[in-house]
Amino acid sequence: MALISTLLALRKDARLLKIPPYLSALCIIVGVVWLLVLPLQEYSRNTYVSENALLPGQVHTYFTGSEHNIFRAYRHEVASLGDRTTQERNQRLGDILRSSNLKVATQKYSYATSGRNISDENVYAILQGPRADATEAIVLIAAWRNMDNEINHSGVALVLTLARYFKRWSLWSKDIIILISGDSTSGPQAWVDAYHNSHNPETIESLSIKSGALQGAIAIDYPAGPWGHRYDKLHIVYDGVNGQLANLDLFNTAVSVASGQMGIGCTLQRMWKHDDSYKERLQTMLRGMISQGVGHASGPHSSFIPYHVDAITLQTVGDGWHDEMSLGRTVESLFRSLNNLLEHLHQSFFFYLLLHANRFVSIGTYLPSAMLIAVNFSITSIALWVASGRAGKIPNPASTVPPATPGEKSTSSITTKTPMTVAKKDGMIALIPTALLQTNERALFLPLAFVLATHFLGLLPLYIFNNTHSSYLDLTFTIVALLSTLLPHLTAFSLKRFSRPTEQETILIQCFSLLLLGMFLAALATLNFSLSVLIGIATSPLTFIRSTKNKPVSGALSLLLAVLNPMVIIRGATFYFGQDIMSVLVKAAEGWHVWGLWTQVVVWLVWWPAWFAGSVVVSGGLFA
Amino acid sequence: MLPTLRLLILLLAACAWGEHTSNWAVLVSTSRFWFNYRHLANVLSLYRTVKRLGIPDSQIILMLPDDMACNPRNAFPGTVYNNADRALDLYGDNIEVDYRGYEVTVENFIRLMTDRVGEDMPRSKRLLTDDRSNILVYMTGHGGNEFLKFQDAEEISAFDLADAFEQMWEKKRYHEILFMIDTCQANTMYSKFYSPNILATGSSEIDQSSYSHHADNDVGVAVIDRYTYYNLEFLESQVQEPTSKLTMGDLFDSYDEEKIHSHPGVRYDLFPGGESEARSRLVLDFFGNVQNVEVEGGERKNETQWQQELAAIERMILEAQRRHNESLATGPHPEHLVEEAKAVEMMQAQRREGAMRVDEESGWQKQLVGAAALLGCAGMWAAASWLDQRGKLV
Repeated sequence: MALISTLLALRKDARLLKIPPYLSALCIIVGVVWLLVLPLQEYSRNTYVSENALLPGQVHTYFTGSEHNIFRAYRHEVASLGDRTTQERNQRLGDILRSSNLKVATQKYSYATSGRNISDENVYAILQGPRADATEAIVLIAAWRNMDNEINHSGVALVLTLARYFKRWSLWSKDIIILISGDSTSGPQAWVDAYHNSHNPETIESLSIKSGALQGAIAIDYPAGPWGHRYDKLHIVYDGVNGQLANLDLFNTAVSVASGQMGIGCTLQRMWKHDDSYKERLQTMLRGMISQGVGHASGPHSSFIPYHVDAITLQTVGDGWHDEMSLGRTVESLFRSLNNLLEHLHQSFFFYLLLHANRFVSIGTYLPSAMLIAVNFSITSIALWVASGRAGKIPNPASTVPPATPGEKSTSSITTKTPMTVAKKDGMIALIPTALLQTNERALFLPLAFVLATHFLGLLPLYIFNNTHSSYLDLTFTIVALLSTLLPHLTAFSLKRFSRPTEQETILIQCFSLLLLGMFLAALATLNFSLSVLIGIATSPLTFIRSTKNKPVSGALSLLLAVLNPMVIIRGATFYFGQDIMSVLVKAAEGWHVWGLWTQVVVWLVWWPAWFAGSVVVSGGLFA
Repeated sequence: MLPTLRLLILLLAACAWGEHTSNWAVLVSTSRFWFNYRHLANVLSLYRTVKRLGIPDSQIILMLPDDMACNPRNAFPGTVYNNADRALDLYGDNIEVDYRGYEVTVENFIRLMTDRVGEDMPRSKRLLTDDRSNILVYMTGHGGNEFLKFQDAEEISAFDLADAFEQMWEKKRYHEILFMIDTCQANTMYSKFYSPNILATGSSEIDQSSYSHHADNDVGVAVIDRYTYYNLEFLESQVQEPTSKLTMGDLFDSYDEEKIHSHPGVRYDLFPGGESEARSRLVLDFFGNVQNVEVEGGERKNETQWQQELAAIERMILEAQRRHNESLATGPHPEHLVEEAKAVEMMQAQRREGAMRVDEESGWQKQLVGAAALLGCAGMWAAASWLDQRGKLV
């Protein structure tokens, strides 16, 4: 009882309002430290294959010997197609597949994005499992051109050879689909969309032959030319569009088969050298997070993942002594494992951060970090809401003013300076500060309207960037960046003309903005953890800025916020990673129109409005 | 004195009745799916072994939840192997699966054991045992502490199993049971049994896994479990014919924890006579179909030997008849009479012998033993009557 009344008394304590900023800071610090702690051996786990049915690497592989001759012949065939038209190329590839007694079909597709026209043709074949019931299928992909726009000579040749080789086995429990897509991103997207009947039939041809539900997909990226190239390692690419990931079991099976059975080293996230030190693990994790956060298609497999078809790309990297046959045997063993599946991959993790080819952190371990960062905004938002309801400062009744001269009796400040109200009840009399008894009306209209308008304003750049012709994209970016830097000041200035917002409204604008930000980021953390963390960290200063009439402070804060402008951060990031902003914008627009990328929605409708509201609040101080 | 003797005779009779007259085997795999290939191979291996040792298909209930031979993933269609050498196709030409696919459920298993089945249940799916039947119950699958999973859908608990056995005992459905189970934490499955005459053995202790023995890299899966593998090794290499005198003790002693990689357990306490009695049971009391009409001698005979003996007996009869006729012709003489009587006696003895002991080998030795036994019996009887007389006199 005593405890409750103490707590209730604390409710009115002014000191309570001083805690939230520290609490928010603590949340951010713990959130970031949490992330940095993950690569330690104590907080990560060794990977393991969770699905019993997979049995990775438990079969002898027989893709050797004479298959090598066939592979070499196909590689020369493929090399001779390099300068042909799409039509001729696919005719020839189809003939090769047909000669292995497979059903072959082609699919034309075209996408219009950023004023460009992406059009090509996929050719694919279906190997019907001789004793299978045609209800399930696994896909073997080789894009004609890989992510770096090189012709995937050996990859395509290997897929053709494997198709011929697989046809001779009678043990497939699922159909095998051989897909040679026109390019690495839109081709597989068009194909997988059409496979699931979610394509636009006007621009994308429907598939003339189909098989059962897709259970998995493996893409091969091996651009070695007609004379081959011995590689050092397999780079396993596993992230899909919007930061969705392939089931960890698939990745683990690939690693287990490649390194355990074939003796090929595996690497990930472009960490060509990985000595399994803390630094390297952290770096791998951060690269993985950035890749996930950006949410772009990272290979031909990426388009499959949104359809809940687990997929990875095997990319050969470096100069070593492994040849195409060992890659072929890896794929064979991997397919034998997938063939063993009885149901969709579901056992292992879909949410994970990989630190090394065989170390990972699961969602339960890393999620608190993003949640803590998101919660810091909610805490501040609640504190601001409470603060907006306070009339003014009430002195602490317990504090005393020290006596002016020694000998004089010390007097409580509360009795001398604060307007008081006398309360009588049951014959008892109490003095209560008048301010405590007054309720402070909150003016909600302007803050709510402002915050909503800000969020809707984000739709404008979203539309502009997704629909501008690529030749104007650079210019558009510069203009929008400039405008978005100036807009907060213009807004603040014009609002001040109407002597708005009041002090309370300013607080409420920040309150609502942070409330939405905290909510969005917490929800996003469960969908795309990395994006949530990245935006959370980039917006964390918004928690601590306050409207102040002190002009130098306002100026400094405005400057800080100008640097934190999403446009500036994106520009800085592309500069840091050596990317061309143009190509990033073009890819983003392609992502929007082709892959169904949602990252720009988060940027323009979550990140940018939060930054804008914060900037307006700070800028208000400049025009006070 | 006489009542004591009668009691003795009754006891002896009880011993004779105490043996079983039929052998049944219930072989159950409880898991399906390709990666559980080994569980079906385990059961099929046991099936082959008990069939080889004489239990007919009609007395084997085989429960297979999946058909590995026809699985599309099987690189060797139509076959199931329990060894990477693939020397022996367990499916072979003739297997009779009584419960298959989704028929293998806990309910069906318990109904089978307790014979609580509908009227239309075919006899091939029933365990038609009585109180003279020895039953081998072999189970394999995925299990845990006091449970065994059935097809990833349900599980049977150790208590269910114990109650089913108790019901069988109450319904006089078995004489003795050998319960054998190969699963993780297998020994917990028999820990709850409380019905008599059950000898139980399992592959691993509580909190202990059972392991597979080896995988076939072309089939792509593990093909047999360790515990079953070493049981089979014993049965296949030591128990080669249906006359083997090896005991359950020999089988249990053959378990090598180093090879099995878990601690197999045996439960003797439910068996009357405890450990020593249970260990002295023949392996074939459970794995074979040895019946108690088994003839003496033990060694097998071939057809010609049997016919030769029959011919010899015929010759003896003819000889005796000839001498009899001769004696009739020479006229009655006391010696002749004696001789005639002897001849008839001998002839009858021979004839009796011929009818009864077709496959007798060393007849004279046996006859001597028999005569001695008869004399002994007669002596005992005489002594008993004398003692009785004396008792009455006293």
